[in-house]
Amino acid sequence: MTKYVIKRIGYMIIVFFVVSFLMYSVYNLIPSDPARAELEPLKQTLKPAEYEERYQELRKEYGLDDPIPVRYARWMGLAKDTRTETFHGMLQGYFGFSQVYKKDVAEIIPDRMENTIFINIFSTILALGITIPLGIYCAVHKNGIIDKITQVITIIGYSIPVYIIALIFIWVFAVALGWFPVTGSQTPGSDYVGMQAFLDRLYYISLPVIVMTFGSLGGMTRYVRAAMIEALSQDYIRTARAKGLREKVVIYSHAWRNALLPVITVIIGWFLGIFGGSVIIENTFGLNGMGALYYVGLMNNDFELALSIQMFYIVVSLLGQLAMDLSYGLVDPRVRVDK
Amino acid sequence: MNKDNKKPSLFARLFGNRNKQLSFMEEEQLQSPTRMIVRNFLNNKLGMAGLIVFLCIFLFVMIGPKFFILDLSYQDNTQVNVPPTLSMLSIPEGLEGNVKDITPGTTFGVGVDNDGHLYTWGYTKITEVIDVGNIPEEVKEAHIEQIAAGYDHIAAIDDKGNVYVWGNDRLGQTNLPSDITTAMLMKKNLNFKQLEAGFQFSAALTEDGQLYMWGNQNMADIKVRKEYQGNIEKIALTTYNCVALLKDGTVAYVGLQKNAIADQLPEGLDNIVDIAATGNTVAAVDADGKITVWGNASDGLNVIPEMSAKPVELYGGIKHYTALLENGEVISWGNNFHKQATVPESVVEKDIETVFAGFYQNYAITTTGETETWGLKGYAFGTDNLGRDILTRLVNAGQVTMTVGAIAVIISLVIGIILGGVAGYFGGWVDMIVMRIAEVIGGLPFIPFAMILSAIIGTRISVEQRMYLIMVVLGILSWPGTARLIRAQILSQREQEYVTAAQAMGVREKTIVFKHILPNVLSLILVSATLDFATCMLTESTLSYLGFGIAPPTPTWGNMLNGANNSVVIQQYWWRWVFTAAIFGVCTICINLVGDALRDAVDPKSNGR
Repeated sequence: MTKYVIKRIGYMIIVFFVVSFLMYSVYNLIPSDPARAELEPLKQTLKPAEYEERYQELRKEYGLDDPIPVRYARWMGLAKDTRTETFHGMLQGYFGFSQVYKKDVAEIIPDRMENTIFINIFSTILALGITIPLGIYCAVHKNGIIDKITQVITIIGYSIPVYIIALIFIWVFAVALGWFPVTGSQTPGSDYVGMQAFLDRLYYISLPVIVMTFGSLGGMTRYVRAAMIEALSQDYIRTARAKGLREKVVIYSHAWRNALLPVITVIIGWFLGIFGGSVIIENTFGLNGMGALYYVGLMNNDFELALSIQMFYIVVSLLGQLAMDLSYGLVDPRVRVDK
Repeated sequence: MNKDNKKPSLFARLFGNRNKQLSFMEEEQLQSPTRMIVRNFLNNKLGMAGLIVFLCIFLFVMIGPKFFILDLSYQDNTQVNVPPTLSMLSIPEGLEGNVKDITPGTTFGVGVDNDGHLYTWGYTKITEVIDVGNIPEEVKEAHIEQIAAGYDHIAAIDDKGNVYVWGNDRLGQTNLPSDITTAMLMKKNLNFKQLEAGFQFSAALTEDGQLYMWGNQNMADIKVRKEYQGNIEKIALTTYNCVALLKDGTVAYVGLQKNAIADQLPEGLDNIVDIAATGNTVAAVDADGKITVWGNASDGLNVIPEMSAKPVELYGGIKHYTALLENGEVISWGNNFHKQATVPESVVEKDIETVFAGFYQNYAITTTGETETWGLKGYAFGTDNLGRDILTRLVNAGQVTMTVGAIAVIISLVIGIILGGVAGYFGGWVDMIVMRIAEVIGGLPFIPFAMILSAIIGTRISVEQRMYLIMVVLGILSWPGTARLIRAQILSQREQEYVTAAQAMGVREKTIVFKHILPNVLSLILVSATLDFATCMLTESTLSYLGFGIAPPTPTWGNMLNGANNSVVIQQYWWRWVFTAAIFGVCTICINLVGDALRDAVDPKSNGR
């Protein structure tokens, strides 16, 4: 098992560097020139020759003419910064400077992340609470009337893009019925404290949470159902039934435990999505989360911000894969065998 | 052998009941795998329904663009946010056969009957609060003689010479000249013979040739040169200017500004019998039937068509002219975007008494009092915030969305089949590397990754290149699923007996993979391609919705919904998103239904054996 874990972690680190290098290269396609930007205010006072000389000096100082791998190493924090002569990059926790917010990216992210996690925890709990029992029920009563209805509804649920679901829900619940606010994350101008603030926030995120839950119902229910049907068709279920075990025991103790295997990987991936947030939902509902931040960064060509969040997404997805592999190994002894 | 086993007669073989129960052996014999898949699929009602609906939508968006031709640069600020209606040319019952005057507005029509009653039809709302359909009480009571509709207001004159204006009154549209208000106070009738309205201004002409103009003078040239007063026979209004036909048969620009209409006024126009104006041009016809057009002519306004007789009267819409000929025929020319320059057959057959033209509509009154109409009927699905017809965009967007989805799927299939095949075939370190790459790409958060690629690369290329970029990005990011499927299939098929048999017979490895294994995997590839197609369409639309996909003005179902996520649009301009969302939703649901049905048909387990 230890060997397996080490192998996975080592692999993850390699992938992280490869992907981040690729991302950095793509990012470098954008024409940007910090040297000229710094010199711009002095352009009027300096003579052209002097200006050119200063400019070349600055380029050298910034190391702009170095090949991409060198610059990448500097950005990542693997090589010394040319100006400060220190390691000052991603690995040291310096994510760059946001042009839009005029702040270090590292200062902006925690607040946003808190918002995103707050929303996602609710929707994940809700979605899991609905989909797993529903999926099991449908598998057990396969081809029953409820199963058929669920099949149709879930097909609709996973076919329609989540932003259209959002539009319909806003139309019905916010505009027509007026139950929920259309956008925002708290009552404007309010200065609630304590419980009241929490409830106000809950009120504002309820519609996004409902939409997110509804959007994820389709895929998850079908997944649980398929896994459960697969498990129920196994011989050991027949054996269990033949032994005269109660149906409840057969379903929950024999079938569900085995169906859990494929389901658990999806659930873990899902929990990691909590940190990433949804670009679409956060933009549609005007919530200040990671997704909205990413959108703002890209829209305003604030690429240092966007790239940092992109790196964050990559780390989250890699950790997700690692967690999936490890959980698989923990739950299913067959995987643990060193190949 | 008994008698029952003899061959059926020819008749029975041709017309007999073929659905008879087959024996076990016969049934087993009849079914090749492909046949079985087809039969299973045909028996799946949900899947078939999905397929039929999808094919309908597919044909609709593939053939539709030939009929709903999209002009990418088109936009029209007079047709903004018009709800679905086809009633812009539907004259109310009371007015039919009893028309005194009709004036077409931007998206509505106003008419007066011979009893002085006023009627409005079409979409009369100018903004959320201004509605020209709200006719003031005093106008309803008065006996209206003449009316004129401008861009956002309506002017009317009753039989006692009172002038009424309603609609948008914020830019001086209702500031009547003091001469008119004094006369109205003194109960003196100024004997108006013509009333016209342009962009936020109106003009009224009296029997003795006095011209009064009022309205928003920031835009329109509403001053009248002194020398023409008392000498004017008829006026024609362009969007901002006024041209007059004088009593001596010549034409003059009555205002003070310098502009194309004034500068290009041709020399030597005399014996003019009628004038008319579009938004930017003026036309005059002389006693010999010669038509002269000047101004910033576009859309072939200055190309006068051949006429079977002498034109005697001219009428102008916003971008077209209509001429009434001596023999009662009617000819229209100019912009034909809303079919306003296509005179229908039914009009050609009849003798026309007079025509009321304006904006994109024409109303012709026959000598027997019937009304014939042609031009802009309305929009079945409404218009968007730039005045573009949603139906046209919807159809063309469907074509773009489906093309992008299809090409992205093909790219991902090609990469997936090749890499999956290579990995499954060679195994070892090749397999290891390919699968690791697939894992990394499959694990990347899709939407954010596509967004950053589109944002970084997409800003420096043209709209069309950007469309290809999206296809490639979608294809490149979505191949791992296919590759994994192919690899797994090849690995499992290799263990099958038929492969062992082929190997034993000495068939080459390459032939085994492509001739023996691949056809067996084909049905699974088809299933995955169908489901991927839906996914690619969804992803493209999501990217476009966020503004990182295909850029407007090229329409896709996604970017048509971009900007729909605020409560004003969702509630008040519902047609801007409901139709698009509905057709797109139905389309993806159908594709998924087909994909599911195919998967069930391919999977032997679902046959209950």
